[in-house]
Amino acid sequence: MIRFEHVSKSYGGTLVLDDLSFEIAPGQLAVLIGPSGCGKTTTLKTINRLIETDKGDIYVNGRSIARLNKVELRCSIGYVIQQIGLFPHMTVEQNICVVPKLLKYSKERCQKITHEMLELVKMPYEEYAHKYPNQLSGGQQQRIGVLRALAASPPIVLMDEPFGALDPMTRLVLQEEVRRLQQKLNKTIVFVTHDMDEALTMADTVIFMEKGRIVQMASPDEMLRNPASDLICSFMGKRSLNNQHLPQTVADIMRDKVVTVTKDHGVRASVELMSRKNIDTLILTNADGSYAGVVSVDRIKRSGKGYKTVEPLMNRGYPFSYEDEDGQVAFDKLIDGGVNYVVVLRRDRTVAGIVTKTSMARSMAEAVWGNGE
Amino acid sequence: MTDFLEIYGRQIAQAAGTHLYYVLLSVAIAFAVSLTLGILLSRAPRWANIILPLLSLFQTVPGIVFIGLLFLAIGIVPATIIIALAIYAIFPILKNTYVGIIEVDESYREAAKGCGMSALQALIRVELPLALPAIISGLRMSLVYTVSWAVLAAMIGLGGLGDLIFAGISSNNNALILAGALPAALMAILCSLGIDLLRGILIPRPLRRDVL
Ligand SMILES: Nc1ncnc2c1ncn2[C@@H]1O[C@H](COP(=O)(O)OP(=O)(O)OP(=O)(O)O)[C@@H](O)[C@H]1O
Ligand SMILES: [Mg+2]
Repeated sequence: MIRFEHVSKSYGGTLVLDDLSFEIAPGQLAVLIGPSGCGKTTTLKTINRLIETDKGDIYVNGRSIARLNKVELRCSIGYVIQQIGLFPHMTVEQNICVVPKLLKYSKERCQKITHEMLELVKMPYEEYAHKYPNQLSGGQQQRIGVLRALAASPPIVLMDEPFGALDPMTRLVLQEEVRRLQQKLNKTIVFVTHDMDEALTMADTVIFMEKGRIVQMASPDEMLRNPASDLICSFMGKRSLNNQHLPQTVADIMRDKVVTVTKDHGVRASVELMSRKNIDTLILTNADGSYAGVVSVDRIKRSGKGYKTVEPLMNRGYPFSYEDEDGQVAFDKLIDGGVNYVVVLRRDRTVAGIVTKTSMARSMAEAVWGNGE
Repeated sequence: MTDFLEIYGRQIAQAAGTHLYYVLLSVAIAFAVSLTLGILLSRAPRWANIILPLLSLFQTVPGIVFIGLLFLAIGIVPATIIIALAIYAIFPILKNTYVGIIEVDESYREAAKGCGMSALQALIRVELPLALPAIISGLRMSLVYTVSWAVLAAMIGLGGLGDLIFAGISSNNNALILAGALPAALMAILCSLGIDLLRGILIPRPLRRDVL
């Protein structure tokens, strides 16, 4: 979705971006993190060409942005700036509709968008649409800042320390909200922060920068387990230390009685099985017993008509982990992925069980209070 | 008193009318010129740092001297006084327009750009509305000053409330001086109120508190 190829930028002889190359896949939330002045904001602004690069190419959707019209590019990329930047002379509704108006959407359409957007963050239209930014709390302003970036439904959204100025509680709530919106609307988000906790809770991919270079680009758990430099360790502070006190493997926290069927199982038989066992998802295996994917009852209900077996409805990308991995891995997938469970596999890829919130809580409780009554 | 009004009433009304005509026309011209110039200067602050101090220096040339010069060049036509007043009225509006735009917080400019606005759209939709309170207070200043400067029109025989004042001074008639001065003061106050009204219409209430 976004690809940097050997991008460099310098200001008066100092190299601010030093030969950056990386790629962010569609639908991912990538977090840029690093010490102040390492080039996070600069990296972000090169994507919508608020800053022009000296060398290298940036591709958005496979097209080099240098050849795109700047204004069009920016209308297709939502942008939340470091200081919120809601226009104080415009109402909430006018702020949300800035980009739709630039795109010459009709008045009715703009109003509809405002309704939908405010709905997303549970701020009633009647109460808020006609307020001015200085009549809102900091958290509300920040929400509107995010909505303004989403209003014209751009596939990509850039956010530069959007929650920097908020109190920790509001910050947590908004992190969750953005994460939820991102998954619901399937956006690709590039998110800048100073705060490792924020990075680890929100990111699919963390990109750690120092002095204009990428030091490490990895998933949150990978970074927690194998931080690539001392600086990253110090950024993670207590978090990475704490983990060493949790030696439990995934096998310790999983439930091992699970219902599996082969992927050529019939659609109707599968629904019947799920309703009998009172479960909403089935784990599917290949003919040789190795794990293939999962299928949910919702999916079958929505698009199951006309299929004989469940195979075409199967979700192959469902989160899983191996039974001998650290329990933390499954935990992070379960919490960050917003899923109900994580499939657990043996190294030969047969299904060993699942980790659910309940199974995990039970094993944690056992660790703390001992086994049984 | 009633006698006085009977004798001078018509003359006062007529003088006030001429006076107001000079004021409004010259401030309108000044407004158009300084808004344009202020916007242009805000695009080139380097020039502004040369031009604005020069203009403020010019502002210290006494009005009478300037009107005298213009009178020599153009003669006794209303254009003389209107040009002179307009030139004096430019500075406050120009300066406030320029400063108002320049002082728009960088974050708003960046947000506008980041949303995909062109430079012109950012100017019209963001910078000018945010500079509006400053522009309006510049307009108020110009308007109020011009009401008093317009008294000078009488110096070169172009009428206005100055006629009554100068006639009063030369004939040592205090009532006549007041007959010119009071309507002028009243006109200044009304102009100021008019600007308040304009501000009330143009600037939404929640944003009005931090205005001069
Ligand atoms: N317009 C500019 N002119 C010169 N140097 C600049 C300019 N903009 C940024 N820099 C420099 O480039 C470097 C990277 O800046 P950038 O704003 O990308 O940092 P950052 O990682 O976002 O920092 P922070 O976390 O403090 O926001 C800094 O050293 C900064 O001083
Ligand atoms: Mg920054």
